[in-house]
Amino acid sequence: MIGCAVNFFSPDPEMADNKFHFLSPLILIAMCGWAVAGEAAETCSESSRLPESNDYYSTGWGIDQRNTRYQPRSEISSENVGQLTLKWAYGLSSTTPRSYPLVTPDTIFMGDSDRGVVALDRESGCERWVHEHDGYISSAILSSKIDDRDIIIYADRFDGIYALDARSGDSIWHAAVDDETLPMYSGTPLIVGNLIFVPVASMEVTLAINPFYGCCTSSGGMAAFDVTTGEKLWYRPTIEAEATMTGRHFYFVEEYGPSGAPVWATPSYDEKRGWLFFGTGQNYTHPTTDTSDAIFALEATTGDVRWIQQYTENDSYTAACNLSLNHPNCSQPVGPDVDFGAPTMLVTTKSGRELLLAGQKSADAHAMDVQTGERVWTTNLGRGGIIGGVHWGLAANEALGLVYVPISDKAAMGFPSPGEPTPGLYALDIETGERRWAYSRESRCTDEECTFGLSAAILASNDIVVTGNIDGFLEVFHAITGELLWQHDSWRSYDTVNGVEASGGAFDAHGPMIADDLLMVTSGYRYVGAERGGNAFLVFQLEKGDE
Amino acid sequence: MSEQLAGRWQRMLATMIDGVLVPTLTITLVMITGVVEDAEDFTDRWWVAHVLLLAIFSYLLLNGYLLWRYGQTIGKKALGIAIYLAEPGVNNQSQPAPIWRLVFIRALFFPLLFVGIVPWFSPIPLLDQIFIFGKKRRCLHDYVSGTVVLKKP
Repeated sequence: MIGCAVNFFSPDPEMADNKFHFLSPLILIAMCGWAVAGEAAETCSESSRLPESNDYYSTGWGIDQRNTRYQPRSEISSENVGQLTLKWAYGLSSTTPRSYPLVTPDTIFMGDSDRGVVALDRESGCERWVHEHDGYISSAILSSKIDDRDIIIYADRFDGIYALDARSGDSIWHAAVDDETLPMYSGTPLIVGNLIFVPVASMEVTLAINPFYGCCTSSGGMAAFDVTTGEKLWYRPTIEAEATMTGRHFYFVEEYGPSGAPVWATPSYDEKRGWLFFGTGQNYTHPTTDTSDAIFALEATTGDVRWIQQYTENDSYTAACNLSLNHPNCSQPVGPDVDFGAPTMLVTTKSGRELLLAGQKSADAHAMDVQTGERVWTTNLGRGGIIGGVHWGLAANEALGLVYVPISDKAAMGFPSPGEPTPGLYALDIETGERRWAYSRESRCTDEECTFGLSAAILASNDIVVTGNIDGFLEVFHAITGELLWQHDSWRSYDTVNGVEASGGAFDAHGPMIADDLLMVTSGYRYVGAERGGNAFLVFQLEKGDE
Repeated sequence: MSEQLAGRWQRMLATMIDGVLVPTLTITLVMITGVVEDAEDFTDRWWVAHVLLLAIFSYLLLNGYLLWRYGQTIGKKALGIAIYLAEPGVNNQSQPAPIWRLVFIRALFFPLLFVGIVPWFSPIPLLDQIFIFGKKRRCLHDYVSGTVVLKKP
């Protein structure tokens, strides 16, 4: 707790992008209090404190390095999904949990926001170990090796990436990008061999709400680090040009550009070519660049650019535009803010063609040629908006030839969202982009104050697709027909294995995970707009019949 | 001495005047000095201290001389009221409050007005202000600093 409090003047810029960050000392005090309250968590018996297995159920945020978000190691299908029941719940320390689990046959590694990384016994949910982390864990938990030592890696949203010993939870190294002044590590890194690729965004997008801030000088980028040492190997900014002064406001405050084009999401990796793919966000200021709202292809070993395909030109936006379109840090003309927030996805069609897919906040799903970046098809599925359209991620079932696109279409934070929203889940033919089926239902938000839509990333497995809705329903669909097969309403309180009072909220961010007969997900997210917070990590299991 | 007590409306208006002038000068100085203008300023939390120091400097620049000589801020001068020691001196005469008491004890309460926008802390400035409805029309900060606000003769 003291460590929590004294950190106020430490050089760590955590929470600095939050528009209420001037309240951070007070929030810190409250969080510390909460952390102390949660210290009564149930720990595993001494004999089972160390995770035994190093057989991991995912190799990255996208389950695989291509980001298909398809889980092949699953017993859950349309035939038995009705047997899913809650196995145990774990109370997290934050009402905006933002981590994605790493699963082995005996352990679930999970980021618990400002509390740290927890290694939970997969069967009972007891804590094998807790690695305390004073910051904000925001990524999926990843696995790798240093020699024969199993390690796990995660990103702190404001403070870089960390490597821990997977068995003991001991720290190994911490690394950060020094090429940008205020980097933000929102996306999950990707590990390929001895390289870690780290997507880099910027805190300037929200710092701009301060009218006395001279917006903006930073670029997004992609960095590569060495797994063994944490040493940075290369950094590729998405804007090569140095920002220069473009004007002033209030007589004294200097404005800069070009800036922005952040990288929000984990990259996808093409093993055959040795290439890395990722999307970028909008520019923060004018002049805009031809690298914003674009897809990049890089050489993974060097960071050299292979191709760039821009989808939306002249898109300039900062969070200041939410306060007022006349805000001095809302650079004019203001754009629609239609980033690529979701990761790119490499797929092979039934005819054998390799395509790179990307979902944009404009509610467009795009397919492009992997080698050239040339557009193959684009399908629009909604009106889009500043949190999507497509917000966190697609899923694909290549055997069925389908890609599944979750659409949020939620209006947020006063920013104009013209057009009719069409939130829901859409299945498209990977080859052509044609719509195969769509599912939407009536929002519960007609009866109570809440929001509705699919913002969180989704997951495909066998013949099912799993989604979490902002209105608190976890749902499983038939992958071929779009039929709703199973639903869980998480807007309730849960008895937890660690004794922390927990309740569900909005499903957002990283979305669900499957491993064998388990379906796991965090419920609660109040980061954007009027979404409902919650702190429940839920693990469902197929109920075994009498045998 | 109750006839000489400053009116509650007078005190509120004086606070409002100071509440406009001090932040206005602070904001101007923040812009001129650029303490929150660059990305580098936000790599640690010292920008909070920088802004706070500029606010204190603005308060003293605007009110320091008046407080020292007359026990008044600009707002209080405009409303014809001044700060005195709560305990009268010889012949029951009101005594001017020493500057150290006004700056180092009394003025420290004013950041609470800022903190008042934080929901968890809002009862503190509210409590401070509620005391004005007492018989002696003294806020909590008046009691702590041993002062009273009177009409200036």
